[in-house]
Amino acid sequence: MRRVLAILNGALRTWYRSKPTLFWTLAFPVLLMLLFGAIFSVSQDPTFDLHLQNQDIVDGQPTVLSKTFSDMLNKTEIFNLHIVDSTENATLLIEEQGIQRMLIIPSGFQADCISRNASIILKMAPPEVETASATVRSVVDNVVEIFNAVVSGQSPPKVVTIEFESIVSESFQFIDWFVPGLIAMSLMTTGIFGAIGWNTRNRELGILKKLATTPLSKLEWIIGVVLYELVMAAISTVVILTIGILVFDVKVLPSIYSIFLIVSGAIAFPGIGMVVARFVKESDAADAAANAITFPMMFLSGTFFPLEMMPDFLQQIAKVLPLTYLNNGLRDSMIYGNVTSALTNTAIMLGIGAFFIILGALITSWREE
Amino acid sequence: MDMEVAIEVKSLVKKYGNLTAVDGISFTVHKGEVFAFVGPNGAGKTTTVEILVCLRNLTSGEARVNGFNVQDRKGQQEIRKRIGVLPQDFNTFDLLTVKENLIYYKKMYGHGIDIDKLIELVDLKDKTNALYKNLSGGLKKRLAIATALVNDPEVVFLDEPTTGLDPRARRDMWNLVKGLKEQGTTVFLTTHYMDEAETLADTVAIINSGKIIAMGTPPRVNIKTWRNEDFDRQKGRKAIIRSASPNSFRSKAGKRRRCCRSS
Repeated sequence: MRRVLAILNGALRTWYRSKPTLFWTLAFPVLLMLLFGAIFSVSQDPTFDLHLQNQDIVDGQPTVLSKTFSDMLNKTEIFNLHIVDSTENATLLIEEQGIQRMLIIPSGFQADCISRNASIILKMAPPEVETASATVRSVVDNVVEIFNAVVSGQSPPKVVTIEFESIVSESFQFIDWFVPGLIAMSLMTTGIFGAIGWNTRNRELGILKKLATTPLSKLEWIIGVVLYELVMAAISTVVILTIGILVFDVKVLPSIYSIFLIVSGAIAFPGIGMVVARFVKESDAADAAANAITFPMMFLSGTFFPLEMMPDFLQQIAKVLPLTYLNNGLRDSMIYGNVTSALTNTAIMLGIGAFFIILGALITSWREE
Repeated sequence: MDMEVAIEVKSLVKKYGNLTAVDGISFTVHKGEVFAFVGPNGAGKTTTVEILVCLRNLTSGEARVNGFNVQDRKGQQEIRKRIGVLPQDFNTFDLLTVKENLIYYKKMYGHGIDIDKLIELVDLKDKTNALYKNLSGGLKKRLAIATALVNDPEVVFLDEPTTGLDPRARRDMWNLVKGLKEQGTTVFLTTHYMDEAETLADTVAIINSGKIIAMGTPPRVNIKTWRNEDFDRQKGRKAIIRSASPNSFRSKAGKRRRCCRSS
């Protein structure tokens, strides 16, 4: 234990005396939170710009039915309607102004409605090109359906309605869903980059060789480095939550179970880093190796979007990525209050941590062949 | 001199694939003795040291330090407690002070000498609280040697302790080694400077291409007469052994570099 504490003490002193390291330890989580906070803290009811040209004008006024249709579009509150003068050339306008979506109510719309032969024109990129198009199309479809029912006087009776009940106790915003993922991601990058970097730097300086001539064991060295990364993890978690609460009114707070998970993550990721460090000899290669591990995990473990959105084979890959369990566990404990899941994921993370720390101690070679 | 054996090496061989780095060497170092291993780069000096300090496996033969076998796991643990090592090209933590660095290494042993006294011994008292990165090359080397002494070792291994130092810093280092000898510490030193071996060593072993080609007291091996050409004749290799003359040191500096690349 004396040796482990000496390693921790040395690493902490080196950390706070290195201004760039100190800066980035604090700045990275701040930037992460500010960036993603700015993106995801906006209103959760998305609105879409829609240009509307009503060409069904009689005596300078829109016809009753065309006006009814445009009013119904407006009432959905999903569109920011931009009215285009009926005399403008729509195609030219789209090209010149780079308009993304335009709905045209053609001349004679009201008359065609009466003869049950009316149509509207929706100009936009297909859903394969722009994902928002699917939502826009779906909303316009619904408006058309209701409009048809109203105009034809065949309003169907209401059989089923939806009652929405939240399964989370607080009034969380999307940013609250995102914060546990940010904490997990920060634990991963800090742990993996930190462990690989610290090991590689000390190998280059000859410190590892020197330590190998002392009674220090490899396991003690690895535990010392993991403890140091645990302190770094605590700092970045506190920074993320502080910025989140102060700037973005984040409401999720870590429970005791979340703290278990954070500790387990802060053990597992440096453990992985120590195993990788065994195969990285130079500083230049250290960053590349750390990036190669953290980058796929960042995107495939449900940090930025739910796993359900991914294809099946990627979901299978996610199941073997440690970050998935940390993300799931932290969301379950911080948002849904699911203690069982939090503890299960903690156990998985601790298992992963123990596996990699022991593996690291076994394969780390201070002796030369 | 106490004639107890500190290091015993018998028919030691180390091979890297087809290359034989150490080729069946045998020697004995007695307690309290300063033993200098002299030879050009690539002669097998560092490989031998790294086998003795349990950093490297041997291919065949036997090596013991303070009676403990370097190949035996328990023996290695005992050896590590009792030795102090200055690896070649060693640098320590840039952002720890002189004192913090020494405390760090002392804690790896759990025993050792008083750090303040050690700092005085290596003449770094004025720099006690200076960061390692702010020390000059000579002072860095002094601290590095001090890290090899923190556990009050019975045997100290110094792998090319004066390489890259200016003449004054070298002389300081020599005085330090002489001080260790006076205290009765066994010192195993590698160098490619003949004058260093002559000044410091009780016994000199000259090694080239993995073989000991001469061994004995400095006068007995006629150390002053050994020059680069001797090694060239031995194996047709360039070597970097030089005489004690400072003029020779300066005038041959360029040649030394060429030799290093080709050897």
